[in-house]
Amino acid sequence: MRLIVVKRVKTSNLYYIGIPVLSILIGLVMSLLIFALIGVPPDLFIRGIASGFQSPQTLRYFALLVMLGVALTLSFRASIWNVGAEGQMIWGMIAGGYIALFVAAQSMYVSPGELANYASMPGVEVIDASPYAPVVSILLMDPSLGKLLMILFGMLAGGLWALIPAVLKAYLDIDEVATTLILNYVAYQLFSHIASYTLRGLSVQAKQFFRTDKANSALLFDLIRGTSVTIQDLVMAAVFFVAVILMYGYTTIGLRLKIIGSNPQLLRSVGVDERRYILLAMFLSGMLAGAAGVSIFASPGVGKLEKITNVVSPPTMNLGYIAILVSWLSMLDTRLVPIYAYIVASLFQGSSMLQLEINAISPGLLTGGALTYIPIGSILIVYVVLRILTDYSIRVRIR
Amino acid sequence: MKTQSLFSSKEELSFLRPIISVRNLWKRFPGVEALKNVSLDIFSGEIHAILGENGAGKSTLLKILYGIYVPDKGDLFFEDRKVVITSPRDAVKNGLVLVSQVPQLIDSLTVAENLSLSLRQFGYMSNVKKVSKFLSEKEKEYGVRIDPDVEVWKLSYTQKQLVEILRALLLDAKVIAFDEATTLLPQTEKEKLYEFMKTFKDKGGTVLLVTHKIPEAMEVSDRVTVLRKGEVIGTVKTSETTIDQIRYMMFGERLTQLNSYGYGKLSSWEGSETLTVRNLWVKSDYGVYAVRGVSFSVRKGEILGVAGVAGNGQLELIQALAGLRRVERGIIKLRINGSEINVTNKGSTLIRRLGIGYIPDEPVKKGVSLDNTIEENVAVHPKLSKFLISWRNVKSLASNLVREFSIVTPSTSAKAKVLSGGNLMKVLVARELTVSKLALVAYNPTRGLDEVSAHYVRRLIVNKAVNEGMCAVIASEDLDEIMEMSDVIVVMNSGSIVGVFKSGASREEIERVMVS
Ligand SMILES: Nc1ncnc2c1ncn2[C@@H]1O[C@H](COP(=O)(O)OP(=O)(O)OP(=O)(O)O)[C@@H](O)[C@H]1O
Ligand SMILES: [Mg+2]
Repeated sequence: MRLIVVKRVKTSNLYYIGIPVLSILIGLVMSLLIFALIGVPPDLFIRGIASGFQSPQTLRYFALLVMLGVALTLSFRASIWNVGAEGQMIWGMIAGGYIALFVAAQSMYVSPGELANYASMPGVEVIDASPYAPVVSILLMDPSLGKLLMILFGMLAGGLWALIPAVLKAYLDIDEVATTLILNYVAYQLFSHIASYTLRGLSVQAKQFFRTDKANSALLFDLIRGTSVTIQDLVMAAVFFVAVILMYGYTTIGLRLKIIGSNPQLLRSVGVDERRYILLAMFLSGMLAGAAGVSIFASPGVGKLEKITNVVSPPTMNLGYIAILVSWLSMLDTRLVPIYAYIVASLFQGSSMLQLEINAISPGLLTGGALTYIPIGSILIVYVVLRILTDYSIRVRIR
Repeated sequence: MKTQSLFSSKEELSFLRPIISVRNLWKRFPGVEALKNVSLDIFSGEIHAILGENGAGKSTLLKILYGIYVPDKGDLFFEDRKVVITSPRDAVKNGLVLVSQVPQLIDSLTVAENLSLSLRQFGYMSNVKKVSKFLSEKEKEYGVRIDPDVEVWKLSYTQKQLVEILRALLLDAKVIAFDEATTLLPQTEKEKLYEFMKTFKDKGGTVLLVTHKIPEAMEVSDRVTVLRKGEVIGTVKTSETTIDQIRYMMFGERLTQLNSYGYGKLSSWEGSETLTVRNLWVKSDYGVYAVRGVSFSVRKGEILGVAGVAGNGQLELIQALAGLRRVERGIIKLRINGSEINVTNKGSTLIRRLGIGYIPDEPVKKGVSLDNTIEENVAVHPKLSKFLISWRNVKSLASNLVREFSIVTPSTSAKAKVLSGGNLMKVLVARELTVSKLALVAYNPTRGLDEVSAHYVRRLIVNKAVNEGMCAVIASEDLDEIMEMSDVIVVMNSGSIVGVFKSGASREEIERVMVS
């Protein structure tokens, strides 16, 4: 048996709005039914999801998903299927974390007797007030400079990590979907190793829990009151969004990154080495994902690297995968990314809140994060099915 | 499946019965009225040519008949029945099958599989065995031989076109419509296709032939309809008209451009060779040597024409010169301002940076990006935009090109995919001629262009050679084109140069070497 897939040509504008909107609606109805099946009343479901749209926590996911959505759209538009944002974020966290813990500041043991002295010095923060071996973190540079360095190195690390599959694709023609995906798990492993051994902290907690010390809070990003989003998150999201739009609109690299997605042969024939643009697309994409990783690390609630005990819930919160949905719903149009980032962020937040509520009512029902991903997953599936049905006509042929 | 009905003998009477009637057809695209009140009768059993300049609306008309586009207004009648055609399936049911320039086949399947697949797509029962049997029948009737069990990717372009035609026969077509399906075929293969059309007609079939080549229409058609700017200018019997009359119908005032042209004198550039090729060996896609030890040199301001029957290494030679195909042995050298540069296997980036224009063999696949605008298709060339693109400059350049090459488009910010085939080619040619300073390397530079545009392009190339000292290597399947432009003509046969002629050599002489 063979499947024969023929791409359809189509010009409808309706399609670009219709497919995403339909996917969201059908996906939500589907998840409502799934929840109903496992005993969650529909009104609870609706209230839970709706609350996501007003939750102050949503903004944080929104900012991260804008960065990641823009990042993925950059590569998808070049027909490079980067599903490795997770790994690229992880490297952003590691590099940003390294700068925060060892370059911009440093933690050290002090004698218990001097702890009070240290604590009163500017730029010094008590990380661990243990009566036997207290640890303090000492700033080594201006914290704004430190934060900038964290972002820059995080971006660089994410970009370099993304170059691995890019080089394999450009020069050895190895499919990037598989490599980027595998590299995510490699990154998780390395992350755990680095957090548990290489960068293991000095404090008692770090010794106990396989993690680094907590970073000096002067190096963490600045929360906007009443939310979990930081000023830096929002600024980065805005800057990346605008920068990429300008790049597409006004630079030759932007133009070529667009064209490589529709006709790489044209680039080669006008004398542009299209392989370098594969590298560039992935590098830029990885850089933005890396920045999102730094954001996660530098969030005041985090500030440390910790061994991943369960690959299902990495510190990236799976946002690198969820952003694929954002990019797809935007139909690979960067300008639409913020809109769908907001919707997906709200759904994600709403589902998490719903999960908590369900756990509270009937603790036995379904625990863990499982329920959180049902709405997002349903929308993703509906979207893929709709795209396949509208983009291709598929025929099965039996020999 | 019934296949017999069509091939029963038909009486002459039916000749005057319209098999397809088009009445007051209108079709508007954003920014352009592609068809304006078009009415037309296609008689049963005739070969009806539809002629028109680039962008006249020929393809649009066929696409409406074939259900790809839906008209804004107007009626279609098939055998006096009013029909509404909204998909190719409807068209096929009514007996019309379209054969386009680009074969719509799946490369990894065999011929028989492809055919049986499309049969089922159109709602016929079929299996591979039946198809094979049918093919051997047709082989006897038409003398076309295609192995049903060979995979499509192994076929030549002509063979693929034949498979398309066989598909039409399998689908029991009463009318086969060709949309410039002959443009890319080498001359000898074209003859075969004409033969086929005539046989098909003798068996009672009807042919709708879209082309902008007047001689082609004169050779095979019974009647000719001319479209211009979406309107029917007229329908005439081929036997009662002349090339000049049709030409006037097609181009109107634009024709004066054709007459006033005349080329400048031959190049008077004294100087050394700009491009030198020594003992070049290049492999084809299949890994066999397609170019075998070719050597030549082209001086400043000189045009070298590469003639030959298609498939004798011209394509690979041109691609190697453009830096897009590996040179196995031999060297390619360029001379710029007195210094020599070896560009062998240095890649297209260097070659293009030195000021060489390139017109590739598959323009749509390699020369333009359909999803991008005309402006973007211009700006993509490294010579035509800097890191920061000045869209003002690009726009004004693009508008100039649109005007100079009379590209029919609503605006320079229209996507390339809305352009007609010929106008798309013009965008590519215009861009490449703009960047050709040192040299132009081209394969079929005027394919798909109407006569006036083709003439304009040829004259531009010659003028650039004469006035600016650009040199050119031009391979073309159209011998007239080569003879018209070249200072020197080389003939390729089986990968080698088998003859060298100065301009003014006799056509017979050249043709003799081509096929020997
Ligand atoms: N899908 C489309 N969207 C917008 N405009 C279109 C579309 N298809 C055709 N046109 C426009 O309609 C006009 C007629 O195009 P058509 O393809 O019918 O020309 P043609 O006679 O086949 O020309 P050619 O000889 O160059 O193939 C052109 O101006 C073209 O730009
Ligand atoms: Mg056409």
